[in-house]
Amino acid sequence: MFWYDLASSLLIGIINTLELLLISAPLGTGLGIAVGILSSRKGFLSILARAFSSIFRGFPLLVTLFIVFFGLADFGIYLSPTASAIISFILCSSAYISEYVRGAILSIDEGQSLAAKAIGMNETQEFLHIIIPQAIRRALPSISNEIVYMVQYSSLAFAIGVQEIYSVAKSFNSLYFRPLEIFSTLAFIYLSMTALVTLLFRKLTERLRIPD
Amino acid sequence: MMLRVEGLRKRYSDIEVLRGVDLELREGETKVIMGPSGAGKSTLLKCINLLVRPDSGKIFIDGEEITSKNSDVYKVRQKIGFVFQEFNLFNHLTVMGNVTIGLTKVKGMSKSDALLKAKEVLRAVRIGEELWDRYPAQLSGGQKQRVAIARALAMDPILMLYDEPTSALDPQLSMEVLSVMRELSKKGMTSLVVTHELNFAIEAANSMAVMYEGRIVEEGSPEEVIKNPKTAEARAIFNGRSNYVLV
Repeated sequence: MFWYDLASSLLIGIINTLELLLISAPLGTGLGIAVGILSSRKGFLSILARAFSSIFRGFPLLVTLFIVFFGLADFGIYLSPTASAIISFILCSSAYISEYVRGAILSIDEGQSLAAKAIGMNETQEFLHIIIPQAIRRALPSISNEIVYMVQYSSLAFAIGVQEIYSVAKSFNSLYFRPLEIFSTLAFIYLSMTALVTLLFRKLTERLRIPD
Repeated sequence: MMLRVEGLRKRYSDIEVLRGVDLELREGETKVIMGPSGAGKSTLLKCINLLVRPDSGKIFIDGEEITSKNSDVYKVRQKIGFVFQEFNLFNHLTVMGNVTIGLTKVKGMSKSDALLKAKEVLRAVRIGEELWDRYPAQLSGGQKQRVAIARALAMDPILMLYDEPTSALDPQLSMEVLSVMRELSKKGMTSLVVTHELNFAIEAANSMAVMYEGRIVEEGSPEEVIKNPKTAEARAIFNGRSNYVLV
């Protein structure tokens, strides 16, 4: 009975966690890449992009969650716990990912840029066709790592009342008080999710790999 | 004149790299520029396709002043092929991709037309079909440089600039590259070549200029300059070395 109850409540938690992750991970990655590109360039947008990444890398995720969920309510913006968590995860992960992307862009050998210019490419063409495709490949392992973190920090959503898998496990434990079984199962589920993320990114890296 | 450079000057903070360079290149002419490192040869070349902005002086390509404010940098560069010492092939693209990307993305050519053009120039630099799907990391240095030449040629340049194209290659691989360059020159491709290869200068170039501390100090036919240098700077470069020239 215990195991059946555990499985059925964790299943709800898994679904809620996956909902958070399946929305936050792609959007966070997309926004991170965009912010990273902007911050590697010159001008006003670059300053904004860098400010964005400094702010959301500087705020602890828990604080960001509270600001988005409780803080915005002061301005009449009422978000559901799930929406607040998704927004916070996107902000946090994109801030980090933007730094990986910016670093990868800056690490591309200047010769690539010179050669692009030499055949008459303008800055947009150079960026789009030469720099970005190489930089994204270079940033992929770090992006993968960030998504693995996201799987784990998604548990923080419990603090604003999202019924994700950690909060489900915690409530379940207060009923049955069998922490070893409950939290070991929980740990195994997180491990499976991070393993899956790692595997997916490995496949993607393999597909995009430049033969040498 | 295909290329005319007048009083070109360029300063990097406290060092004046170009101190008033004048240079002319007729259509179909191949000119070699030699000189010790730091003489400003590479900067001169990069100024000619505006990869480096000169501080003052004028550059005319085919009669058009490219240093004027309203000249279109991107259009100018399309007309000028540039070959780098370090090849600078696009690492994420195959041989074919490297040669076609300028055609499709810059010139707006269709994929199939670009492919035809690419095949033509790759054959001209003797890069066989078996290499077309390889990536730069899978090529030898000599192959890389020949692909780089093909990439430049594909754009139908009216002028080719070579910046020490064989300095990163061993003598064997240099030969492959130099023979391709020589063929192009013989076919009438206007070329300006910064190199230390005396044999190439004598066999393939119509004229030669010696640069020293940001100025051209001597000009003439390659043989004349190498065997009977008139200035002390040129003598310092060629003294003793002319004996090794195989002609």
